[in-house]
Amino acid sequence: MEVKLDKQYPLDVDAARAWALLTDLKATASCMPGAEITEQLSDTSYKGGVKVKVGPAVAQFGGTVDVIEAVASERKMVLRGKGADKGGSSASMDLTAIIMPDPANPAHCVLNGQAAVIVNGKFAQFGGRMMVQVSDMLLAQFVENFRQTALTLPAAEGSPVAACADATAGESAAAATATAAPVVAREINGLAIFWALLKSWFSGLVGKKA
Amino acid sequence: MNAPVQTAEAREIALAGMGASRLRKEDARFIQGKGNYVDDIKMPGMLHMDIVRSPIAHGRIVKINKEAALAMPGVHAVLTADDLKPLKLHWMPTLAGDVAAVLADEKVHFQMQEVAIVIADDRYIAADAVEAVEVEYEELPVVLDPYAALQPGAPVIRDDLAGKTEGAHGKRDHHNHIFTWDAGDKSAADAAFDKAEVTVSQHMYYPRVHPCPLETCGCVASFDPIKGDLTTFITSQAPHVVRTVVSMLSGIPESKVRIVSPDIGGGFGNKVGIYPGYVCAIVASIVLGRPVKWVEDRIENISSTAFARDYHMDGELAATADGKITGLRVNVVADHGAFDACADPTKFPAGMFHIVSGSYDIPAAHASVKGVYTNKAPGGVAYRCSFRVTEAVYLIERMVDVLAQKLGMDKAEIRAKNFVKKEQFPYTSAFGFEYDSGDYQTALDKVLEAVDYKGLRAEQAAKRADPNSPTLMGIGLVTFTEVVGAGPSKMCDILGVGMFDSCEIRIHPTGSAIARMGTITQGQGHQTTYAQIIATELGIPSEVIQVEEGDTSTAPYGLGTYGSRSTPVAGAAIAMAARKIHAKARKIAAHMLEVNENDLDWEVDRFKVKGDDSKFKTMAEVAWQAYHQPPAGLEPGLEAVHYYDPPNFTFPFGIYLCVVDIDRATGETKIRRFYALDDCGTRINPMIIDGQIHGGLTEGFAVAMGQQMPFDAQGNLLGNTLMDYFLPTFVETPHWETDHTVTPSPHHPLGAKGVAESPHVGSIPTFTSAMVDAFSHLGVTHLDMPHNAFRTWKALREHGAAL
Repeated sequence: MEVKLDKQYPLDVDAARAWALLTDLKATASCMPGAEITEQLSDTSYKGGVKVKVGPAVAQFGGTVDVIEAVASERKMVLRGKGADKGGSSASMDLTAIIMPDPANPAHCVLNGQAAVIVNGKFAQFGGRMMVQVSDMLLAQFVENFRQTALTLPAAEGSPVAACADATAGESAAAATATAAPVVAREINGLAIFWALLKSWFSGLVGKKA
Repeated sequence: MNAPVQTAEAREIALAGMGASRLRKEDARFIQGKGNYVDDIKMPGMLHMDIVRSPIAHGRIVKINKEAALAMPGVHAVLTADDLKPLKLHWMPTLAGDVAAVLADEKVHFQMQEVAIVIADDRYIAADAVEAVEVEYEELPVVLDPYAALQPGAPVIRDDLAGKTEGAHGKRDHHNHIFTWDAGDKSAADAAFDKAEVTVSQHMYYPRVHPCPLETCGCVASFDPIKGDLTTFITSQAPHVVRTVVSMLSGIPESKVRIVSPDIGGGFGNKVGIYPGYVCAIVASIVLGRPVKWVEDRIENISSTAFARDYHMDGELAATADGKITGLRVNVVADHGAFDACADPTKFPAGMFHIVSGSYDIPAAHASVKGVYTNKAPGGVAYRCSFRVTEAVYLIERMVDVLAQKLGMDKAEIRAKNFVKKEQFPYTSAFGFEYDSGDYQTALDKVLEAVDYKGLRAEQAAKRADPNSPTLMGIGLVTFTEVVGAGPSKMCDILGVGMFDSCEIRIHPTGSAIARMGTITQGQGHQTTYAQIIATELGIPSEVIQVEEGDTSTAPYGLGTYGSRSTPVAGAAIAMAARKIHAKARKIAAHMLEVNENDLDWEVDRFKVKGDDSKFKTMAEVAWQAYHQPPAGLEPGLEAVHYYDPPNFTFPFGIYLCVVDIDRATGETKIRRFYALDDCGTRINPMIIDGQIHGGLTEGFAVAMGQQMPFDAQGNLLGNTLMDYFLPTFVETPHWETDHTVTPSPHHPLGAKGVAESPHVGSIPTFTSAMVDAFSHLGVTHLDMPHNAFRTWKALREHGAAL
């Protein structure tokens, strides 16, 4: 099952900070709910995992993430992730992320994401109908985490950040923003996704956007 | 002692023989939950097997790591293709002359293909251990569309066949090509089209569906390392064939292999083939010296065991301007999945598809079927039909409708015009089948009158004239002929064994009897109906006749139950065995009554001396004599065995009519009326026939109105649970009306033709005929199945008929 996503997320973060976070793959990965990079295999290759919880069932995808392309001048990053779960599912994703400055407001930017996600096995068979909605939800959570983490970075262009959510209590982030430790979802929670889907469906019914 | 029953009529009723609506003998145990299915079998020391399956549809196996699984407490073994290689059991022959991987050897060819097996103390440990087996795949491009599979640059599905240009059914001209099979006379058909006043053509897709029996497939294999014999309880429609195959594969002499099909919870063709799970359980039992049980779950059943249909068909008819059909041409591209594992008689890779000329006298016809490999599960079984008869009947019935539409003729009228006439039987079709008997016109007239066809057409015209009508009304009509009862050994065999069937009857000294058969009931009610045949033939009450099937150690060799062959073949074997006994009984009776054999008359349950009703011997008395004091020169005992090789197939037929009302706003379809008239020749148990027809119509309804096996572009099967796969229940199933005519088969000892598959074969095109009929005034000539609400709603919108 293949899902293609093409999304634009306006962020209240400047392009430089967003790009700085994006190039730190470890930090970016940990903005994805349930995901983490466990090992760096080479300059462009990482090992990691994603944990998805749907009710009582937990699926653990393990695999690799490769940086196919990183063009600083365009603030463009191309990633390829591949993984499998022991329960008989596999997934791969080609992601192109570009950070564009917001022409109206130099303090803001737009995160452009194009992804082609292919899921095989049980996840595709059981979750096929929910794939687009769940992917949307995941991305929305990711972007929110990404935004919050980027905001914790020093405004000055420069050093990559160490990590995302867990690091918020740590030194580097604490130095910049001592007060706001963002609440970041650590796991993809099926119930939470379901609740959010239900909410957006109901608000769709009554004609207002969630 | 009971008072003797006096009149012949009363005695005949007491026998509950042929023609009686005797209650099913099987039901007493089933309705009490006392059936004995494979999964009910428990053996001392029994282990459990589960299967590691491929999540992807096409790929190479890079690495299999079984250490973690083996380390789990309670796990006895994890086996892969590499473990089966030394035994040469990692591949096995299929019924269609191909080979299939038992466990994936270096690559996987379809999603859910068997990759490894785990043997553990219980089912739960086995399932957990399956998740602990790590398999690394390198994905390969997937090809799911059979037309795309035949393109020059298409991915190679079967690496193992590289360079093999000769298949089991002739030349292979592409790496994904299995066979091309032709029937009929191409030049005669082409000539008919050249001269035709009118021609029509239609493309149609008969979707991939699954028989989905309530009981999934499974087995308990038990190898005795001391005696060296193997007993396997198995969900098989053909236990004797399984025994032969198991012996051939394992090298264990057939005399030491015992295959038992206990109660079977529905087969419908799904339980004809030999699946990797069976082979693995048997191997595991031999390796471990302990019984091993394997029972698949529903998802495994729908995903990996045999599917049916998946025919992409192009039909063409040539006709005169007044609607007489002069020629038929058919081209089929058949999606067989990754291995050619169709269950067909050896010489017929497209089964009996050449029944495609139907009930019509078509002078020139040609059909060509091309089998193709794709990255889908193998199969292509006869789902409640006699080997691709369903596809053939669908095609011809659709084409006749399309022709009628083109000519502006009524669909009943065009059928009547083209019927093989009553006086033409036995009739040889353009494809060479010799139709045994039929009277189509009488049956059609009966149906049209019963439903007030003219009134229905008038109602439809009125609805069409009303732009505000909330519904579209459609009338479907099908007048089909089936070919069943495979089959004459000169034409039909499976793995070289002729498709005869067998019966052994023993009359006990006190006049009760046991019959053992080469067939196996899966819901058909053999224990009831077979006893009725013997009751009538031998004058023994059916109540005291035991029918045993399914145990190869006791039953005579037979080819099993599928393709509506039980009554046409095994039913005939019963009659013939009974008649052997009858002949011997007559000799004994003559001896007892001290008359010449020719001076005896047979009446219901006794031999009478001609002209003297007081002098008689009942069959029970004769049986006692046979064991007690047989006449000099005659062997004691009263038993016989008969192997029946049918001289021909049988050709049951039916006339089905369906009325649908389609909601123009939602696409929901209501089956307002379904009238099914069947002619299966002599009727053995009318109640069971009605039950068979209800079941077949319901399965036909499921196929036509909802069943589908959708695949996404990566080869994920998106409909392999009962949440998705449509199995109609009491809620969805419409009301069925049944009727019959009786045209006995002249070559069958009882005149019986077989019935269980007719309602499935006949009803499916009837539903499509009704759906298309509802749209026909909008110029629609065909709608592909399934006719579910969403697809119908889309059709309504596409043709401007939606409200």
